[in-house]
Amino acid sequence: MFPRKLTTLIVAALCLCVVSTTFHPVAFAQKKKAPVEATPPPVNEEFKFGEVDLEILEQSDLLDHRLERDGLVLADDAANSYINRIGRSLVPKDLALERVSWRFRTLRDPQPNAFALPNGSIYVTTGLISLIDNETQLAAILAHELTHVMRRHTYLQNRSNRKKFLTMNIMSAVGSYAPLSLVGAVVMAVTTVAPFIMIATMYGYSRDLEREADLKGIDMMISAEYAPEEMVQVMKSLDKDIEGENIRLFYNDHPSLDERIKYLSNYLGARADKVTAQMELNREREAYFRNMSSVMRHNVQLAINAGRFRSAVYFAQRLVDFRPDSENLFWLAESYRTLGPRAQELTEKQLTNSAMKDAAKKREKRTTEEEERDLLATPAGKENWEQHQKKAEELYLRALATDSPVPVTHRGLGMLYEKLGRTNDAVAEYQKYIDMSPSAPDHERIQRRIESLGKP
Amino acid sequence: MTLHKSRNEQLSSLRRLTNANLIFVSTLFLIALTSQSIHAQFIHPKIKSKETTIRNVVVLPAKVNVVRDSMKGPEGMAAESDELGVRIEKMIAEVLLKEKQITTQPPPSATATDGGSQQQYNVADFQTKFDDLLPKIFKKRSDVKKGRFSMGDEVLNLNLDKSVDAIVFIRGEGKKLTGGKTAFRLLVGGVPAHLKLQIGIVDARKGDVLVYTDPVLVGDPTTAVDRLRDALRKGFKKLPAASAK
Repeated sequence: MFPRKLTTLIVAALCLCVVSTTFHPVAFAQKKKAPVEATPPPVNEEFKFGEVDLEILEQSDLLDHRLERDGLVLADDAANSYINRIGRSLVPKDLALERVSWRFRTLRDPQPNAFALPNGSIYVTTGLISLIDNETQLAAILAHELTHVMRRHTYLQNRSNRKKFLTMNIMSAVGSYAPLSLVGAVVMAVTTVAPFIMIATMYGYSRDLEREADLKGIDMMISAEYAPEEMVQVMKSLDKDIEGENIRLFYNDHPSLDERIKYLSNYLGARADKVTAQMELNREREAYFRNMSSVMRHNVQLAINAGRFRSAVYFAQRLVDFRPDSENLFWLAESYRTLGPRAQELTEKQLTNSAMKDAAKKREKRTTEEEERDLLATPAGKENWEQHQKKAEELYLRALATDSPVPVTHRGLGMLYEKLGRTNDAVAEYQKYIDMSPSAPDHERIQRRIESLGKP
Repeated sequence: MTLHKSRNEQLSSLRRLTNANLIFVSTLFLIALTSQSIHAQFIHPKIKSKETTIRNVVVLPAKVNVVRDSMKGPEGMAAESDELGVRIEKMIAEVLLKEKQITTQPPPSATATDGGSQQQYNVADFQTKFDDLLPKIFKKRSDVKKGRFSMGDEVLNLNLDKSVDAIVFIRGEGKKLTGGKTAFRLLVGGVPAHLKLQIGIVDARKGDVLVYTDPVLVGDPTTAVDRLRDALRKGFKKLPAASAK
């Protein structure tokens, strides 16, 4: 047993630990006073590198290398130079940050997201590039990520988390040796509750940093002559829940999108009043789509591969709206064909939190083929399937009627006919495809399909 | 620092923490008490019935992630993880050759100037496809024995040599403990240093998942070389040798 004075001291020390690690000075400062004037660049001048930070930096360099080595970075020179130009326009020319080298890259991932590594590498996924409408919105994303790097958020969060982990571990050690007495029970109670408080503060701190990145990002946009209200539009686009994934959780490391839209709109205030000619130019949708169409098409394929069929239809439709009589028709046809028996849009009921949780559980269990089989057993699924196959055929044929049809259209049509049981038509289309693209990477695959369909 | 993290991603990681990891942690304790490694293996009926025989494989780059667990939380070990991944690939090739007479061919190269990035994308997309399928396999591993899982004929897009029968996918997650954390574990308890592997062997023509095995090694994954080899050997115990008739 511990002497009574000592145990009281331990309890007091534990409480102090929880309190002191719960409230971070940055969080305090932010809650008291949000920045009022644009003060670019939002560099964290006081930051000094420590050993722990250098380790994080090394890991970031290795992660960069890994992403590239694993074929996850998009090697599209035109798109990369476009995103690079926008990113660099947000960074003041004379700004030199210690151990930061700016790199703006596109990540081959259909899920809308963006992230920054503390070494200055900023990645925007193909999914996010496809979701937004213009250069200014891309600038908003980059400004947010640039702020994370300039304010050294990763290092600060890592430092803060390390303290909290240490506190949690010490508490759990103390808790497991608590004496069997009233004081022991109090120690146990404190040490049991403390980890939850710690985790909540970790997420809370993360949310504070995200908020700061949003607000400072707006300032950076204004300095680079990008209309700041487009940041709100980005949040609204992210809020579009095409796949039914925006499940509300108890812990969140980002503020909710509703909250972000609200505080960004408040912060904008008079800042959004001044609109220059350059700002208008940067908001041009046409120019953005012209520069990013190849990335968007690539993303449709990635979305199909990932089973994000509704997103594929949504993105392909945007491409067709932008340029109808083109290869884009093929991508929309592919999206409809693979959408199969699924409904094109989720209903309100399917977008409730519990329904989305159930759907997520099912996704973890069922393969795509099993999901399709189950849906096809329902009248609604069958109807969807018929509608989508019809739509796909119509689009493939329209794609073939354009001035420069892409050979893969024949492959898509072949796959559609194969599924519809129109064997001869399928073989004919497959044959056309391999005749037109003898060196296609899927030549063998299609050849085998022809052979297997030819068998009695 | 991300712009927006999908809640689905958060939910699934949270669920993974609560369900699978709880089972995994308790299994680890049992292993730590009993032996050094365990090995569950599931074989496709085509392999069992000898309809398909694996003679030649391609081992795709392993995706292994090991962290150093300290009193101040987990720390990344990207370089060590990459090194370990390469070591595991080599060990698997050795084990397959020595124990099962299965030869290994180098993975498709992405260095060619013509379509180099396309080939790199093909491999990357196929690795991602396996990652998507993996949780479903893990949820009901025994269904591999029913031939339930397939990656489809897209596997042919990898354009492997005609002699290749199967493709080996390797995933690994591990933890190395610092001195402080080791002492802490002795006092309070917790997850020991370990490496959990998930290995899938997929038909190179039809995409069927032919073999799934998930050996677990208890001990420092970066140094326990012999134990790792032993775990891999046991992990492929049920796989018939290429010469077997």
